[in-house]
Amino acid sequence: MGQLTLENVSKSYGSNHVLQEISLSVKEGEFVSIVGPSGSGKSTIFQLIGGLYTPDSGTISLDGTVLNNSRGHISYMPQSPALFPWRTVLQNVELSSEIAGSKQDRAKTIELIKSAGLSGYENAYPNELSGGMKQRVSFIRSLNAPQSIICLDEPFSALDEFTRLEMQQWLLSIWETYKKSILFITHDIDEALFLSDRIIVLSDKPAVVKDEVIVPFERSRSEELLMSDPFLTLKREIYNLLRG
Amino acid sequence: MKSAVNKGWRPLLVFILLLVIWESAARLFDVPGWLLPLPTQIAKEAFTGYSLYASHIMSTLTLSATGYVVGITVGIVVAILLFRVPFLQQAFYPLLIVSQNIPIIVLAPLLVIWFGFGMLPKVIVIVLVCFFPVTIAALDGFRQTDRDMLYYLKMIGASNRQIFWKLQWPHSLPSLFSGLKIAATYSVMGAVISEWLGANKGIGVYMTLASSSFKTDRVFVAIVLIIILSLTYFGIILAVEKSVLRWRSKGGNESNGATHS
Repeated sequence: MGQLTLENVSKSYGSNHVLQEISLSVKEGEFVSIVGPSGSGKSTIFQLIGGLYTPDSGTISLDGTVLNNSRGHISYMPQSPALFPWRTVLQNVELSSEIAGSKQDRAKTIELIKSAGLSGYENAYPNELSGGMKQRVSFIRSLNAPQSIICLDEPFSALDEFTRLEMQQWLLSIWETYKKSILFITHDIDEALFLSDRIIVLSDKPAVVKDEVIVPFERSRSEELLMSDPFLTLKREIYNLLRG
Repeated sequence: MKSAVNKGWRPLLVFILLLVIWESAARLFDVPGWLLPLPTQIAKEAFTGYSLYASHIMSTLTLSATGYVVGITVGIVVAILLFRVPFLQQAFYPLLIVSQNIPIIVLAPLLVIWFGFGMLPKVIVIVLVCFFPVTIAALDGFRQTDRDMLYYLKMIGASNRQIFWKLQWPHSLPSLFSGLKIAATYSVMGAVISEWLGANKGIGVYMTLASSSFKTDRVFVAIVLIIILSLTYFGIILAVEKSVLRWRSKGGNESNGATHS
């Protein structure tokens, strides 16, 4: 469970042509990133997958069922943590399954909070946490949902360099335990290469899929990878793709 | 508790100072008691005349509390209906404003003509002054929800009902409590006004009797009673607010995107 497919999806708002025949897929347990210039319609792809808007043409399907304009099939982690300030950490993490109407598994929630290094903060309120901690809560909230695929929308872009690297490593370690399918939007090539199995490169507006890069690096990946030659070669390749 | 004492001594000092000035100025210029009684005279009347107003307090207390509870319930229900049903909002919002433009003093005698001298017209007066600040405060709170949180809920497929109860309602509480506090003080005022119109008990009645017989010290006793009653209501709401909005007082760094004034 957790195979997401987009086939020839196009979308325009009035005369503003945003997406042109986008096709991509995320296999079960796969980590796929979408990189593209800013304003290339990356977030529009998520809005279509989330069912907020209907694509003009093409189909979006999850495990064979068509999802066009139907909501509640994905889990989501936004750019800002968007934690609810009146809920404790525990209640925030439970929100995603609460909305989905699935049964709460308190033991699993506690386990997730522990894996985020936030044991002892279960009853803390978000304004008592640091930026990085909030993002971790936001991520385990999306993991706690019953849906099999998680969409992450530039989740680390507001963090400083060191916290970001720490968060990326933490994200990989926790994802390797839970193995959900992930679709990840970023404009940071390093981040995409470090995290993904596959990278989808989008063009400027109207966005088309320029290329699909398979990331060959073994898991589990460590920080040193970021400075290795094969990594840098691949980075240059993607950079040139984005440049046109 | 300690911080309350720390903050409280300044206004208390100013208050005592004012009383001292009043007392000495009135004595110095020999102002007659029926024109402006001395603070000490008022205090004396408050003690010795306790049996004269004790029963009136209970009556006003019951009336204002009933009116307040009904008023805020109506206020909250109206706010939710107007917010959840856009058609109702378009149709009734202007009417809501108009309802506040009719002076209560004009409306009250009409209510007595229609509903008699019982409890009902008085409760209606209090409801009319109480519901409006609550409705406006709640509507403001509902409308100013955090966009990131709203977007998050929509992306994970929350229904409108879920969005309302899990986001818009809790988000509006700080704003709603401002309205509840305003309404609390209004409710006592509304009760006293409605008692002027014809009642046999209540601080309003006590006040009318006192002023028509030039017992000015008793009028001041009534004013003090009204202030104490209003402050008590205000304090109760403040305490409820503190316990409901516990999350606001914890922690220091407000960088979650949720900014409340």
